[in-house]
Amino acid sequence: MSDIAQARGIRRVVRATLGRAYPRIIGANRERSWLFYDTILPLLGTIAFVYVYKALGAPDRFVGYVIMGGATMAFWMNVMWNMAAQFYWDKQGGNLELYMVLPCGIVPILLGMSFGGFVGTLVRAVAIIVIGSVLFHVTYTITQLPLFLLIFGVGIIALYGLGVTFASVFLMWGREAWHMAELFMEPVFLASGFYFPVRALGFWVGMGTSIIPLTLALDAMRQLLFPESHPALLPVRVELTALVGLAVLFIFVARQSLRKMEYLARREGRLSLRF
Amino acid sequence: MPTQRASYPWANTLQRGWRTLRVGYWLGWQIESNWTDPLLFFIYSIARPLGGVLILVFMYHVVARAGGTAMLGFFVVGAACWPFVVRGMMGTAYSLITDREHWKTLRYVYISPISLRAYLVGRALAQATSAVAAAAVTLIFGRWVLGVPMHLATINAPYTAAAFALGIASVIALGLLVVSAAVLISSEAWRMPEGVGAALYLVCGAIFPVTVLPPILQALSAAIPLTWWLEAMRRGLLGPAVVRSLPHLADGQVLVGLGLLTVLWVTAALAVFTLAERRARQLGILDRETMY
Repeated sequence: MSDIAQARGIRRVVRATLGRAYPRIIGANRERSWLFYDTILPLLGTIAFVYVYKALGAPDRFVGYVIMGGATMAFWMNVMWNMAAQFYWDKQGGNLELYMVLPCGIVPILLGMSFGGFVGTLVRAVAIIVIGSVLFHVTYTITQLPLFLLIFGVGIIALYGLGVTFASVFLMWGREAWHMAELFMEPVFLASGFYFPVRALGFWVGMGTSIIPLTLALDAMRQLLFPESHPALLPVRVELTALVGLAVLFIFVARQSLRKMEYLARREGRLSLRF
Repeated sequence: MPTQRASYPWANTLQRGWRTLRVGYWLGWQIESNWTDPLLFFIYSIARPLGGVLILVFMYHVVARAGGTAMLGFFVVGAACWPFVVRGMMGTAYSLITDREHWKTLRYVYISPISLRAYLVGRALAQATSAVAAAAVTLIFGRWVLGVPMHLATINAPYTAAAFALGIASVIALGLLVVSAAVLISSEAWRMPEGVGAALYLVCGAIFPVTVLPPILQALSAAIPLTWWLEAMRRGLLGPAVVRSLPHLADGQVLVGLGLLTVLWVTAALAVFTLAERRARQLGILDRETMY
């Protein structure tokens, strides 16, 4: 029996997680066209919105807003298409049945998807920020780098927790999964203030849309990037605390939801429902 | 009847093409809409475009420049028309790709005695139809909620209708061109239509006047019929109170330019599709799958 097959407990979880992350970090970069499209598509959309601000004669800081929004969009798209809807693709490819009979269970698979997706997307997001900033001569002054990184990290954990929750819900669906992932694009870009300060939606609407972790994460990071001009929704430390709460909540909900939906999907015979 | 077929072979071909187009349309509509109930389908159809236009509205309001609603009108008409491009152009490509890789029916469609072009145009028109609700709701929202100056008295209906018809023809031509590329590639085929759509969104003045683009991109945008279509739709729906992408041209010149470009692109699309189809058949890759 191989070393991998003999692994137990936390070693098995770590190995399975890294195994699932591998194709997302290494494998995905072998397909050069994916690398190109994953970077260029959000960048093209970002540039279009930069030109909207230019057409409106907006101050330069709005260009920075849009570039940050474009980088964040890469994470949201990764969560929706490669986390939430991933089991839909896996059903099509016949992998889902294999995941279900693995001795490690489905959780390390999802952890691996999250970790691999995050690392892969981080590279693309950095590329979007660098290319966008060079093209439009944008500079950033981060006032508190450790706090900025902490907000980013907690926001990402909460976001991928949400992704796992969605993945469990999408497990029940066939074609609907594709359409639902599409549905959560522009409405979420609007609700989270990807291209403008979320405060513009109004305080209470902004509070309501803060259930999407990116709303608070973006607002807090913009406060640190543009401390004098950004209309904040809440103070940075309050937003950080709320993000920690969201991260814990989504991890808990994801775990419960995964159990429930897996049971339902097995009972109703939807695990192999392809269309 | 055999005698009629012999006398008018072109009429027979046309009739068969029309029948194929209708069936392709019906099939496309079923695939597009029957995954859920009508209410959810309606919400799904309007949520993205409405979300898109609201993003632009909030961007407009945070900048809070003085001066009319001309830019809002620009956003609303662009956001209302763009779903036709997304569904019509990208949808045509996805029709072929999903038939090939998801439903695995392309090989059977291809060997059946029908015109593949007519079938794909039918599928494209079904996709475009699903954009009608989104366009209508966006325009109504723009008129009644945002106060965009779009009144029956100022709408030039014949001009708008002509522009719309030419625009849909050019969208389908673009769709056939993208399909031509899709039949020759496999691993990039899923992302390529999206990439083309994103590039067109940037250069065709969907959400901002192309006059703010660098000169080289302005020249590129002038060669694409979608730029002219969006400009003509804005002039037709909003009248003179509109921010213009092609400010140096009169309304009639824009429509004529759109017509000429549409003819050019439709001709090119048919020729390129014929060549691509022939090449794919020679290479034996018409039904090649990527095992995504």
